[in-house]
Amino acid sequence: MTNKSALIIEDDDDLATIFAEAVRAAGYEPEIIRDGEVARTRLTEIQPEVVVLDLHLPHVAGTSLLSQIRADPRLANIRVVVATADPRMAEITRPQADIVLIKPISFSLLRDLTVRLSAGSGKQPGAGPG
Amino acid sequence: MAGLRLELASGMDRLITVNHPDSNQARRGKLLNILLIGIGLASIFAAIYSLVYLVTHGPNPSSNQVLTSGSITTLLVFGLYLLNRFVSPRAAAIIFLIGLIALISYTDTPQQLINGRSTILYVLPIIMASVVISPSMSFIFAGLASLGLAVMSSYYAALLTERLSPFTVIEFFLLALVAWLASRSLEQALKDLHLLNQQLDQKVVERTRELYDALTREHAEASKNQAILESIADGVIVFDSQGQAIVANPAVGRLLEHTSDEIIRYRIERLMDGKVTPTVREQIVGLLQDEEAHHSNMRFEWGEKTLSASFAPVYAYKNTPIGTVAVFRDFTREAEVERMKSDFVSMVSHELRTPLNAILGYAEILLEAVYGSLADRQRGVVARIMTNTKRLLSLVNDLLDQAQMEVGRLAFNITSFTPNELVEGAHSLMLGVAQAKDLRLTYDVAEDVPPILSGDPQRLHQILVNLVNNANKFTEHGSIHVHIYRPNTDHWALAISDTGAGIAPEAQLHIFEPFWQAEETATRSHAGVGLGLSIVKKLVDLMQGEITLSSELGRGSTFTITLPLTLMQEEMK
Repeated sequence: MTNKSALIIEDDDDLATIFAEAVRAAGYEPEIIRDGEVARTRLTEIQPEVVVLDLHLPHVAGTSLLSQIRADPRLANIRVVVATADPRMAEITRPQADIVLIKPISFSLLRDLTVRLSAGSGKQPGAGPG
Repeated sequence: MAGLRLELASGMDRLITVNHPDSNQARRGKLLNILLIGIGLASIFAAIYSLVYLVTHGPNPSSNQVLTSGSITTLLVFGLYLLNRFVSPRAAAIIFLIGLIALISYTDTPQQLINGRSTILYVLPIIMASVVISPSMSFIFAGLASLGLAVMSSYYAALLTERLSPFTVIEFFLLALVAWLASRSLEQALKDLHLLNQQLDQKVVERTRELYDALTREHAEASKNQAILESIADGVIVFDSQGQAIVANPAVGRLLEHTSDEIIRYRIERLMDGKVTPTVREQIVGLLQDEEAHHSNMRFEWGEKTLSASFAPVYAYKNTPIGTVAVFRDFTREAEVERMKSDFVSMVSHELRTPLNAILGYAEILLEAVYGSLADRQRGVVARIMTNTKRLLSLVNDLLDQAQMEVGRLAFNITSFTPNELVEGAHSLMLGVAQAKDLRLTYDVAEDVPPILSGDPQRLHQILVNLVNNANKFTEHGSIHVHIYRPNTDHWALAISDTGAGIAPEAQLHIFEPFWQAEETATRSHAGVGLGLSIVKKLVDLMQGEITLSSELGRGSTFTITLPLTLMQEEMK
């Protein structure tokens, strides 16, 4: 249970904590990164199973991190949950993301979806706001 | 030749004209002059003739007499002519006619008196008096003629074979009466004619003045309009139907960054070069080509500026379209303020939503016993924190939507969605809220509704949740039902019915206005600021749909939203 890792890339401390608790409740060991630049480097070092990605980040935008993940064969099996407050950005990133959630995101929704991801249920494009 | 004739005529006219302030006297004087000139010419002719006769035939008494009397007459006539022209026409006429009577009385022989020639000659001064002096003078001269006749009769009494009839005198007076009547009516007619002429002259003067005034006014009006056009702060151009400017004020030059000369000289396409996007260019050209096109407050970027333009057709006489008038306004500052306002609202709402999101998340973590289980009362408090935070969040969302709609920034994400999922989503979200009030929340989707539709599912979800929430607020017993159906081939509809209190007809008029509440008491007992229905209405409008309400007090309400049915391209394949 503890060997599955998740990366939470979110600049707001509280939301990062809540997301971390949700993925932990789903059986992952979360690591929190609050900066786009740091996340970019970190993604070249580790291979998390799940990434919860905020799009509005300091230094490097979430969209470019998403492209980086999708372009890297090493990270081919990574599941990306995009967490954004902007419905337009949600539509733009939907083709590249496994799940797109529009803020506010409920703790239980993220937890339950992450459980389903780990069970291998794949893409959830229809998921709406919590 | 014609010139010579004209010269002669005007010379003659000058010779006989008498200048007198009284036009009647002038006319009489002129008439007397004609007589005098006639007689004068005859006298001159007689004098010259007798002079020639004397020279060729030698002295004889008859020619002497003719020469003498001709010369005297000529002199007398000339004197009278001068008197008539320069002193008094009346005096000249009286002297002339008295002279004429005296001449007749003096020169006629007894024989001529007897055979009536003298009597007939006396007629002349009587008639002339009525014409050249005044109508009533005919009676005076009838009297003078009678006197002349009496003097002649008594002078020649010894030679007369019979007495002259007294009826001759009566005839003179009858003649004077006729002359008086005739010349009086002639003078009256002339007077009327003169009056008529004066009136006509007056009318001509008036009409001329009116025409002058009208022209002056029109000129003033035109200069006023020109001055208004030139001082107006908005840019005004009138284009003909070929897109060529025919009128432009100075302000439009400043706004469009062209000289007035360029604006008049160049076609609109050239004026727009490098200033606007291809879409705006196409739109403006299209508007100018359509002779009936109206467009208000079209906003676009023109170089560095933001302009707002309104287009309207210009009609000439008999409603013939002659072109388009365009009014341009500099909207740069307003656009900037709107952008700032919208950015501010976005920023504030984001800043508000993030901590609310955190509160919700932490409350949920507590409620889900992530950090250990809570006592029942603690769970109750956390649940209340969540309920209130959600309410606050929806309020913030409503205000943000309202602000974005006000600046026209609300965007739709058009994608495919299934009506079933839409209604199920709203149902599962609202079921708990309805059940808390012991209300039944049901739904059905008619069979002829296509399984996949095109639209913005999030906004539709928002509409549906808003309406169900609204129904829930105002229903105390019974049920809320959501019905999705297809009213016709081109539309699909969402109907939300409740068994609530219903809405009074007067309230139905205001129900879609922002910040309006059904009743004062509702504000406290039913949470919200009154934005829900106004947002629903605006969203439906933006989706080119229609919202209707049918409600009766005590019988519940039904809100029906009809939307155009569009299928996704890829779904249709």
